[in-house]
Amino acid sequence: MKFKKIPAAALAVVTAAGLAACSGSSSGADDAVGIRVWGAEDDQALLSELIAGFEAQYPDVDFDIQLGVESESTAKDTILTDVEAAADVFAFASDQIYDLVNAGALADLQNYEEAFERYPGRTLDEIKAANSESSVAAATVNDTFYAFPIAGDNSYFLYYDSSVISEEDARSWDTILEAAQTAGKKAGMVFSSGWYNAAFFYGAGFMTDLNPDGTTAMDWNGTSPEGYTGVQVVQSMLDIAGHPAFMFIADGDTANQIASGNLCAIVSGSWDAQAAQTAFGDGYAAARLPDFTIDGTSVPMKSAFGYKFIGVNEYSENIGWAVLLAEYLTNEESQIRRFEARQIGPTNLRAVATDEVQANYAIAAVIAQSEYSVIQKAGGKYWDPVQSFGEIIAQGALDRNDPAAIQTSLDALVEGVTAAIE
Amino acid sequence: MKQDNLSAEMMSGGFFSDFGRAVTKGDLFVKLSMLWMGAGYAKRKQYIKAALMTLFEIAVIVFTVQFAMEYVPKFGGLGSVMPEKTFNIETMKNEFNDYDNSFQILLFSLFSFVVWITAAAVWMYNMVSVYRLQLMEEAGVRIRTFKEDLISFKEEKFHITLLALPVLGVVIFTVVPILLLILVAFTNYDQNHMPPGGLFTWVGFQNFISLFGGGGLTVSFGYAFVRVLGWTLVWAFFATITTYIGGIVLSLLLNSKKTRVPRLWRTLFIATIAVPQFVSLLLVRNFFANGGIVNTICANIGLTDFLRNMGLVSTSYIPFLSAPGWAHVMIILINIWIGVPYQMLIATGVLMNLPTEQLESARVDGANKFQIFQKITMPYMLFVTGPALVTDFVKNINNFNVIYLLTENVYTTTNQVMANSQAKEVDLLVTWLFRLTQDYYNYKMASAIGIIVFIICAVFTLIAFNRMIKGDKEGTYQ
Repeated sequence: MKFKKIPAAALAVVTAAGLAACSGSSSGADDAVGIRVWGAEDDQALLSELIAGFEAQYPDVDFDIQLGVESESTAKDTILTDVEAAADVFAFASDQIYDLVNAGALADLQNYEEAFERYPGRTLDEIKAANSESSVAAATVNDTFYAFPIAGDNSYFLYYDSSVISEEDARSWDTILEAAQTAGKKAGMVFSSGWYNAAFFYGAGFMTDLNPDGTTAMDWNGTSPEGYTGVQVVQSMLDIAGHPAFMFIADGDTANQIASGNLCAIVSGSWDAQAAQTAFGDGYAAARLPDFTIDGTSVPMKSAFGYKFIGVNEYSENIGWAVLLAEYLTNEESQIRRFEARQIGPTNLRAVATDEVQANYAIAAVIAQSEYSVIQKAGGKYWDPVQSFGEIIAQGALDRNDPAAIQTSLDALVEGVTAAIE
Repeated sequence: MKQDNLSAEMMSGGFFSDFGRAVTKGDLFVKLSMLWMGAGYAKRKQYIKAALMTLFEIAVIVFTVQFAMEYVPKFGGLGSVMPEKTFNIETMKNEFNDYDNSFQILLFSLFSFVVWITAAAVWMYNMVSVYRLQLMEEAGVRIRTFKEDLISFKEEKFHITLLALPVLGVVIFTVVPILLLILVAFTNYDQNHMPPGGLFTWVGFQNFISLFGGGGLTVSFGYAFVRVLGWTLVWAFFATITTYIGGIVLSLLLNSKKTRVPRLWRTLFIATIAVPQFVSLLLVRNFFANGGIVNTICANIGLTDFLRNMGLVSTSYIPFLSAPGWAHVMIILINIWIGVPYQMLIATGVLMNLPTEQLESARVDGANKFQIFQKITMPYMLFVTGPALVTDFVKNINNFNVIYLLTENVYTTTNQVMANSQAKEVDLLVTWLFRLTQDYYNYKMASAIGIIVFIICAVFTLIAFNRMIKGDKEGTYQ
């Protein structure tokens, strides 16, 4: 039975060695400033170019900057798995900011004001003022500025085939669906997603908001400041949904459906520009979202507008340099370079004003949409119930002439979305 | 052998009584071994062992003082110090206070407990062992040298050498994580209590209470749990039975003398195994999507309209994978296609080993084919594949691939109460658990569900194996 001693002793030795290694590395004599950066796969070449530029700006500092791949849309999941092990500087989509702030993963940039003033020589207010007001507002949670905006084109608008739908008809769902029916084609939109279907409610003046405790506030089962009820909005959605020329599109299936050739109009974003251009050919056109009719009046839809941010890990070891790097990656020159390389709409006002950006077709549509948009503030409990609600409408499970049932369903929706995080 | 007698005398009772005897009857050095683990060996001139045990003792003490004491005292409350920091412009670094990380406290305390339990066991064995040395010395038996002891590990104690590494691996990679999972189920580790920014603490059985519908704010959780559990069991039953029977029928067909080119057919069926499951499942998912090719075909041949006129479908497409009922049936059907080839292979193997004497005597007695199948083939099949059937059932309870790949991003529940708990009608407990941890960081609930899944699997396995092995059925076929 002596065998137990050997592994146990080995275990103890290994543990002791591990401890020694841990304490050794943290007090190590390595002076290089290590920073790890996570960016999207498509951004890797651009990022390494920009990082080289950053290193050149501070020749006295010995940097060791490592670049890794992490999609902006899944950054939150990877970071929150182990915040202390996550990258120091990372790109993420704006809807993740609430969960990241809630988990204490994002550094409050205000704390590093001193570093900005000493090195690039500008104040945080100047940095904020250089970017569009709405992008800064989206990066601000509870009056704290948490991340640098880098791109502002993450929203949806209307692609249509102008050989079927005239520019004038594209202004309203009623005329779009009529024209589509006449041509034997379909007009489509994703309903089963809290990102898309909220556009009807936002358009009617309803809101979602994020409470400081991470729960979501929602008023869709009541009456909006504009005087519309949630039931009326659902009835309008059901009218559109029930039209024979309307087609429900599953989230993530938009490109396939555009390519199928059955559609003459679809609500989607800049990521489908290529597909729409190919499918609609010479008729390819884009515009802001169409209006919809509530109780006889025409109301514009308001899209949920998303940005891309670069944030800094609260637990970053060399946080001062990490913050400066994040700022560098999002400054005017970097945003212009990014637009040149990837055709992504900038948030820096001077970058937006350049001729190249102004001439880009898809970005022009996003800018038009941005006037009819809201920054979607919602916590984790928002998505599943709203997706489910969209699916209920899509499957025709509600009857437009049964307001009581619609109200019950809306109440259940609000109950689920506003529930405490258990 | 005198040594064997000694051992017999020594090992007359259990391990603990041996230990008790060593403590009471041992001489001074044996007793001293309680404090200095090398003492007994040093007295019997086993210096290498004495040195090893001393080293071990020092290692445990260093581990305790340097490492364990930093975490274990906080185990009761899982930490209380929140992170605070100040930025130092000269070093460009944040200076943090010595903040607590609940998860590290939990993990490292658990690790310390495991180390201490191991150390205690070693310490007790050590007592027994040095007492035996004392007895051997008193009886005048030659004590083996250290070298001889080492050699014995590749001779009569070779099994110990073989098992040492696997046992260590199992403890570190299986036992510790499972214990950790169990502990998390009794905390409030979730999105709002996430280290390092936040602390979590013990909440007792609260998570289990809300899982079963008793906790005020999570009425929907209990509702969803019952439905998800129900579908999990229904799915596991049908997925197991359909592929099992399908596999047997298929292999009977292939083994039939009337089947031409059986090899070709067998290869075709096995081809589905060769394609990675996620590729075939994602393809099938796209085929049966609301706007997928199958729906297009059905619409073109008028099947969709026919079903709509009959009132079976309310949408402009057939919701193969997007409505309850439809999706449940489709998932089981698609699983048959995925699972039957495996069962076919197993069944073919078993059928080839059927005792031919029994078949022949049955034929001589004038039994027809169905009777032979019913009385000989099937019981034999069941006997041989019974244990595999049980493991299949348990595997299907945890069949993540099929459910997740077929329904994720395709199936949206229209049941608002389910949606409010992030569940769907087609979720198995594991897929629900996956979404809770991956998308909602609800680790405490996921752990609680994990424990329930474990209990369900354990109960089914135990009952099934007990019933199968009971009554010495093995004799029947030998």
